[in-house]
Amino acid sequence: MSHSLSGKFLVREWRSGELGILLLALVLAVSVVVGVSSFVGRLQSALLSESARFLAADLVVVSRSSLQDDWVERAEAQGLTTSLSVGFPSMTVADPDHMALVSVKAVSDGYPLRGTLQWSSEAYGQVQSDGAIPPPGEVWLAPRLFSLLDVTLDDSLLVGEAGLIVSGAVRSEPDATAAVFGFGPRLLMNTQDIPDTGVVQPGSRVEYRLLVSGPPEAVTAYEEWLTPLLGQGQRLDTIEGAQPRIGNTLDRAQGFLLLAGSLAVVLAAAAITLASRRFGERHTQYVAILKSLGAQSAQISRLYGVSLATLGAGGTLMGCVVGWGLQEGFIRALGDLLPVTPGPAGWEPIVIGVVTAAVCMLFFAWPPLRRLGQASPLSVLRADIGIEESQRAGDYVIGAASIVGLMWWYSGSAAVTFAVVSGLSVVVGLGFFVARALLSGGRRAGGFAGSIWRVALAGLQRRGRANALQMVIFAMAIMLMLLLSVVRSSLIGQWQAQLPADAPNHFLLNLAPEETPVLEGFLSERGVPVEALYPMTRGRVFSVNQEALPEWREVESEDTPRQREANFTWSDTLPEGNLLVEGDWWSADDAGAWVSLEEDFADDIGAGVGDTLSLRIGAEVFEAKVRSIRQVDWQSMRPNFYVVFPRSVLESYPGMYMTSFRLLPDQKTVLNQLIEILPTVTVIELDIVIREMRAVIDQVARALELVLAVILLAGGLVLVSGVRSSLDARMKESALMRALGAGRRTVLGTLWIEFLVLGAMAGILATAGAEVAAWALQRQVFNLNWAPTFTLWWLGPLLGAVFVATLGLWSCRRVVSTPPVVLLREV
Amino acid sequence: MIKVSQLLKTVSTADGELEILRGIDFEVPSGASAAIVGASGSGKSTLLGLLAGMDVASSGKIWLDGECLSDLDEDQRARLRAEKVGFVFQSFQLLPALTTLENVMLPLELAGMSDAAATAERFLGEVGLENRLNHYPTTLSGGEQQRVAIARAFARQPRILFADEPTGNLDTRTGERVIELLFELNDRIETTLVLVTHDQRLAERCQHCFNMSAGELREA
Ligand SMILES: Nc1ncnc2c1ncn2[C@@H]1O[C@H](COP(=O)(O)OP(=O)(O)OP(=O)(O)O)[C@@H](O)[C@H]1O
Ligand SMILES: [Mg+2]
Repeated sequence: MSHSLSGKFLVREWRSGELGILLLALVLAVSVVVGVSSFVGRLQSALLSESARFLAADLVVVSRSSLQDDWVERAEAQGLTTSLSVGFPSMTVADPDHMALVSVKAVSDGYPLRGTLQWSSEAYGQVQSDGAIPPPGEVWLAPRLFSLLDVTLDDSLLVGEAGLIVSGAVRSEPDATAAVFGFGPRLLMNTQDIPDTGVVQPGSRVEYRLLVSGPPEAVTAYEEWLTPLLGQGQRLDTIEGAQPRIGNTLDRAQGFLLLAGSLAVVLAAAAITLASRRFGERHTQYVAILKSLGAQSAQISRLYGVSLATLGAGGTLMGCVVGWGLQEGFIRALGDLLPVTPGPAGWEPIVIGVVTAAVCMLFFAWPPLRRLGQASPLSVLRADIGIEESQRAGDYVIGAASIVGLMWWYSGSAAVTFAVVSGLSVVVGLGFFVARALLSGGRRAGGFAGSIWRVALAGLQRRGRANALQMVIFAMAIMLMLLLSVVRSSLIGQWQAQLPADAPNHFLLNLAPEETPVLEGFLSERGVPVEALYPMTRGRVFSVNQEALPEWREVESEDTPRQREANFTWSDTLPEGNLLVEGDWWSADDAGAWVSLEEDFADDIGAGVGDTLSLRIGAEVFEAKVRSIRQVDWQSMRPNFYVVFPRSVLESYPGMYMTSFRLLPDQKTVLNQLIEILPTVTVIELDIVIREMRAVIDQVARALELVLAVILLAGGLVLVSGVRSSLDARMKESALMRALGAGRRTVLGTLWIEFLVLGAMAGILATAGAEVAAWALQRQVFNLNWAPTFTLWWLGPLLGAVFVATLGLWSCRRVVSTPPVVLLREV
Repeated sequence: MIKVSQLLKTVSTADGELEILRGIDFEVPSGASAAIVGASGSGKSTLLGLLAGMDVASSGKIWLDGECLSDLDEDQRARLRAEKVGFVFQSFQLLPALTTLENVMLPLELAGMSDAAATAERFLGEVGLENRLNHYPTTLSGGEQQRVAIARAFARQPRILFADEPTGNLDTRTGERVIELLFELNDRIETTLVLVTHDQRLAERCQHCFNMSAGELREA
C-alpha cells in the first residue's frame, strides 16, 4: 500500500473523528505527565530553596581552622556567592560587675545568603528583617544579655580586646537552630572587627562557616570538587541535614510529589489503553471489510502503524505544549497563592512525557491495532468473530512492566513504585476475580428484581469481559485518587501533630531550685500556664565498665567511643514521647543505681544495657548501671534528655531546673520583666523558629493540595474516557430498547443501574487497592504508622457509584433525547 | 473457472456440531454465469464466503482460476481477492467513515490504480448515484447502500464476481439496471458470475442454476 494511501487513510480517519479520540487521550496523557511533573519539579526546587533558609545558604563549609583562600576563590569563579561567618565562645564585659559568657558569631556582608536575619533595636522590640548586619564597630545582642550585662542601646562593651557599641538585638538567625543549646546567649558582630578582638588564634575553639549559594548545578559541582579536599575537623553541611524537622517534612513532601507524578504516568497509560482499545474495537469491522476487498495483513499493519506513528508524534508534541502551558498557566493563575517562588522546570518533564507517550503507544495502543491485521475477513459475514483475546495477556504483561519501569525511573524510588504497584495488583487481581463472580451472581439476584434490574444486570453480564476491564480501569483511577487523598491527609495530620498550635514556644534553663516558686508565681499572675519542671544537672560520662573513654578532641573517627557531656535529669516514669528499645523502666520504689540512655548517646560512648558507667557531676564521681536504651523524638517540641536517672540517684546532686511555656505574640514583654526578676535564667525563644517552620509546613501542605487537585482532575478525565469507551455498545442497545418501545424511564433506569453497579464495585476494589498501597507507602516511604481508613470503605464505593453513574448517564443522555432511528443509523 | 469438490462446512454451536454444507460438488466454467437459489438458512451465504476465500472449509477443495484455496494462507487469499475477486455482500458492508465515492475507490486504491476517483465516479453513475458521491453510507437508504456495494464490486472489473442477493432491496427498474450491468461485465471482460438470488428474472438469465437445500446443492 502506497504512502499516499496511508495519508488518505489518515485524513479520512481523522475526518471521521475516530483518530480524534485517540489523539485526545494521548494529548491528555502527555499533558498530564508533563504538566504534573514540571509543576512538581518546580515546586520541589522551590521547596528545597525554601529549606535553604535554615542553613542560611545552599551549602556550608564548616571548619575548625581558618579556611583556605582558594576555596572561596574557587566558589566565586564557579559563579557562586559566598559569605563567611565565624563563631566562638567568649567572655564579654560591659563593666567590672557585669560580664557574661556569650556565643559570638561574626558575620560578613551578604549574611545570610538564604533566609532572613531578624533583629530589633530594643531587646524585645519590633522585629525587622531588612537584610542588615551589625556594621563594623557595633554588636547586636540576644535580648536577655541586655539585663544580664545591664546595657542599653549605644552602650559599649568589650569582646576580647575590642570595644564595640551595642546597636540592636538579635531576634532570630536562620541558621540558629543548630546552636540553640550552645554556649550562651548570642552576640552578633561583624567579621571585620575580629582581628581587633585578638580572641581568634590558632588552637582556640572557633568554628568557621563558609556560606555558599548559587544555581543548583554549580553548588553540586562545588560540593563534588570540595568533598575530597576536606581535612580533619572540616565538613560540609547541606540543606538536607540543616533542619531535621524541615528535612523530614520536605522528604515526605518530595515523596508525595514523586508519587503524584508516578500516578500521572499510570493514569496516562490507562487513558491511552482505553482509547486505543475502543479504536481497535471499532476498527475490527473496518479491517474485515478491507480484507474482504483484498488487503493483506502487512498492508493493514503498515496502515495503522503509519497512522499511529503520525498520531503519536503529533499527540506527543501537542501534549508537551499543552502540559507546559497548563503548569505555566497554573503557576501564573495561582500567583501569590503559591507558597514559594517556583523554580525552573528544566527539560526532564518533557523527556518523561515523550518516553511515557512512546511506551504507551508501543505497548498499549499498538498491540490492539497490530492485531487488527490478523482480524478475520469472516467477521464481515459474522459479527460475533472478534480478535483473539488470549494474545492480549502477553501485551499487558509487557505494558505493565514498562509502566513499572517508567514509574521507577520517574520516582527514583523502589519503595514508591512498589507501593503503587502492589495497590494496582490488588485492584487488577481482585478485579478480574471478583468482577466475574459478582457479575454472574448478579443475574441470579436480578432474577428476583424488577425488570429494569434484570435488563441492566443482563447487560452487565453480556459485556462481562469488557465490563471487567472497564471496572478495573475505573478502580485504578479511583484508587489512585483515594490513595493520594489518604496520603495527603495523613502527611498533613502528622505535620500538624508535630507542631501543635499550643506547643510551648519558650524554654527556660538554669532555674535554681529556690527560684521555681518565684517563676511559677510570676507566670501564673500573668495567665501563662507553666509546663512541668525538669530537674537538670550537667554531667559527664568518662568511663564504661571501668575503662576510661578518650576525650572528644583525642578521637579521630566519628565512630570511636568517647566521653560525652550532657544534661542529666531524673524521672521515675518513662518520659513522654520516648520509646524503650531495649531493657525496661525502673519503678518508683526501686532504689538501684540505674541509668537510661538515648540510643545515639549510647552509641557515642559505646555502652549497652548492663554496662556500668562512671559519671561525674561537678567534682563528684559515681557509678550507674545501664537499665534501658531509649529512642527520643527530637522532633517533638518537648524538653528531651540523653541521660535519665531514677529520682533517688540524682536528687542528692545540686541541679537546676528547666521548663517550657507558651507565650502569645502580644505577651512577649513578659520576658523583659522576667529577666529583671530572674536575671540568671536562660530564655530560649523558639516562637520565631516555630512560626517559620509552621509557615514552611503550611506552604508544603498547600502545594500538596494543588498537586492533588491536578491528579484528581486527571483521574476524572480517565473516568470520562472509560465511560466513553463503552458508549457504542450501550447506545446501540438503548436505541434498540427504545425502538422496541421501552420508555424513557426504563432506558435511563437500566443505564443508571449498570453504571451504578459498575461504579460501586470499582469503588470497593479501589478502596482495597488504596489501603494496600497506603499501607506500603506509609511504612516504607513516609515512615508513618498506618491505620485503616474506615471512612474510605463506605466513601470509596459511594463516590465510585455516584461519580461513574453520573458520568455515564451524562454521556448517554443523547439516548433519550435523540430519536432511536437516528441513533440506530449512527451506530 | 471455479471448481468445488466435496465441500463440507461444520460449525460448533452451543447445541453441538452443526453441518451447514454437506458435501458440495459443482463447477462454473470461466466466463460463465451461475445462480444459486434456495430457502433462507440453507447455506447460500456460507458457500459464497468460502468460495471467496473469506472462510476456510472443514474439508473439501475449492479452485479459483486454477489456484486451490486450501493451499493458500490468509494473506495469499487476500491477494487473490485483490487481483481477481469482487464481492457484493448481502448486508452491503460499507465503511461508515468513508463517503460513497471513497467506499468505491477503496478496492481500486488497494490495487494501486491511479485513476481510482474517475473510475469510481463512473461506476456510481452507472448505478444511478452520481448525485450521492459525497454522502455517507448511514444517510443512504438500504437500496442505495446496496447499489454502492455493487458499484464497489464492479469498479475493480474482477475476473470473478460473487454477489449475495444483489437485487434484494431494489425496485424492479433499478434491479433490471443492475442485472444489465452484471451481464455487461460478463460479456465485455468475461467475468465469471456467481449470484445468490431469490429473483426469478436474474436466475433465468444465468447459464447455470443451482438449488441449495439444507446444505446440499443440485443443478436445477
Ligand atoms: N458460525 C456459525 N455458527 C452457527 N451457525 C451458523 C454459522 N454460520 C452459519 N450458520 C447457520 O448456517 C445456516 C446457513 O446460513 P447462511 O447465512 O449461509 O444462510 P443463507 O442460505 O444465506 O440464508 P438467507 O437466504 O437467509 O441469507 C443458518 O442457519 C445459520 O444460522
Ligand atoms: Mg444469506
